[in-house]
Amino acid sequence: MTSKNTVHEASFRDPSGHLFYDGDVLRRRIFPIYFKQYKQLSEEGFFSTLSRKRILIPHTETSVSDTEIIITPEVIPFITYPYEWSFEQYKQAALLTLRIQKYALSKGFILKDASAYNVTLFEGSPIFIDTLSFDFYEEGTPWRAYKQFITHFLGPLGLAKYHGTDMFKMMQTHIDGIPVKLIASLLPGKSKLSSTLYTNIHLLAKMEGKHSEDYKAESKVARLSLKAQNTILDSLYDYIKKLSLQEATEWGDYYTKTNYDAQAFEAKKKLIKSWVAPLAAKRIIDVGGNDGTFARALESDAHLIVTDIDANAVDQNFAKAQKNKEQNMLAFVCDVLQPVPNIGFNNTERSSLLNRLQAYAPDVTMALALIHHITLSGNVPFEKSAVFFASFSKYLIIEFPEREDSWVTSLLVRKREFIDHFDFYNSVNFEAGFTPYFELEKKETIPGTSRILYLFKKR
Amino acid sequence: MSLLYFDVGVGAMIVQGIVAATAAIVLFSKGIMYKIKLFFGLIKESDYDSIDIDENDTSVDDK
Repeated sequence: MTSKNTVHEASFRDPSGHLFYDGDVLRRRIFPIYFKQYKQLSEEGFFSTLSRKRILIPHTETSVSDTEIIITPEVIPFITYPYEWSFEQYKQAALLTLRIQKYALSKGFILKDASAYNVTLFEGSPIFIDTLSFDFYEEGTPWRAYKQFITHFLGPLGLAKYHGTDMFKMMQTHIDGIPVKLIASLLPGKSKLSSTLYTNIHLLAKMEGKHSEDYKAESKVARLSLKAQNTILDSLYDYIKKLSLQEATEWGDYYTKTNYDAQAFEAKKKLIKSWVAPLAAKRIIDVGGNDGTFARALESDAHLIVTDIDANAVDQNFAKAQKNKEQNMLAFVCDVLQPVPNIGFNNTERSSLLNRLQAYAPDVTMALALIHHITLSGNVPFEKSAVFFASFSKYLIIEFPEREDSWVTSLLVRKREFIDHFDFYNSVNFEAGFTPYFELEKKETIPGTSRILYLFKKR
Repeated sequence: MSLLYFDVGVGAMIVQGIVAATAAIVLFSKGIMYKIKLFFGLIKESDYDSIDIDENDTSVDDK
């Protein structure tokens, strides 16, 4: 072991083991209390089947002793959290969790916790990342992680169905899942007409309320047959599979209403591609990258992150990546004006967006048609935006739409009598704000538009 | 042996019996509807995999 052997900040709840950094490598330490489960899961091919099918993150056994077993899971380039997922991503994560529990039951095991944080996005699909989440099934016991599944998955999805994907952000303030009572109170009355939502949420909330004063855990433990448990899983799967979202899109069809023609669009693609290619990037992020159109135009083998404020655009990108089997594309929801903070115990359990981006260290950051939103909608001075991008970027390709651009004009006129406060919005001040942090490498007006493309290198 | 480190909720353990009973009735009636629709050729193929994981299928699950 190297001297740097620190336990992962999010890995302390489960006594079976924990994640730790061995130098830069993330490994998992398993304690003797979990040896029996681990050995049986390994020997019966449980891990290997799920790993082969990319349902569970694959791992290799690094060392075995009487006091600990060390395994090394495959590296995931960037961890995303439930409150950063689009509807379809969240839905697939829920379905994955149910499939795993059903499979586990068929093999005499259970998923002992159903936290949404045990799933992340990897190679274009959700994957289960907590290898120690399995335990032996005991005949006749109900699913212990059932309530967790409801508060982490069914609840948020049900709320999103009626109120939109912003509801997922509640997971940020309720790190251990949204309380059942709260979910029940937020769901509209008509949700009681759904037998799934009525029994799994409204009735559950009632029962939980009734038994909340069982301080000594004196209530008789309920029994449930294996068949009944499988029925619950089947019915939840059936319901979630058919869930859909009725939410108008902010940017979903953005490219059909661009203010420049197809020729300029192609010119922009070509220009960006020609700037990125010589940088030989391994990791690229497109901040505010909509459905990934420009990230795809790079035709790069690099790992690509495309974020957008609009969950529908992320959904479209996610669907495209799955359809084309693009394993290097990671899409998630991100509002740059309010990036995800550090949360949880000691403020260290779930990492902020900036911490994760700094660790990811993208070679190229793209911010196309974004700065006018940050500056004019968010009232953020150019220097502040420069600090933001400089905190994680090496090369920055940023598009600056000038005042003549119709989007900018539209944002400016909405300022009404305060329009004079935004006289600073021009390319001279933009450059002045960015050059203390970045060296200007290239600058070119996109033909047929009032937009300038810049290539900056961090100082 | 139980390695439980979070509160499962007593209500949540009890409610599962009722949930399962309701789900059984719903799934049973849906099964009948499915057969009727199948008979009339009204079934569209789902975009999603089945809940049951096929061990012998060597393809990677992507949905």
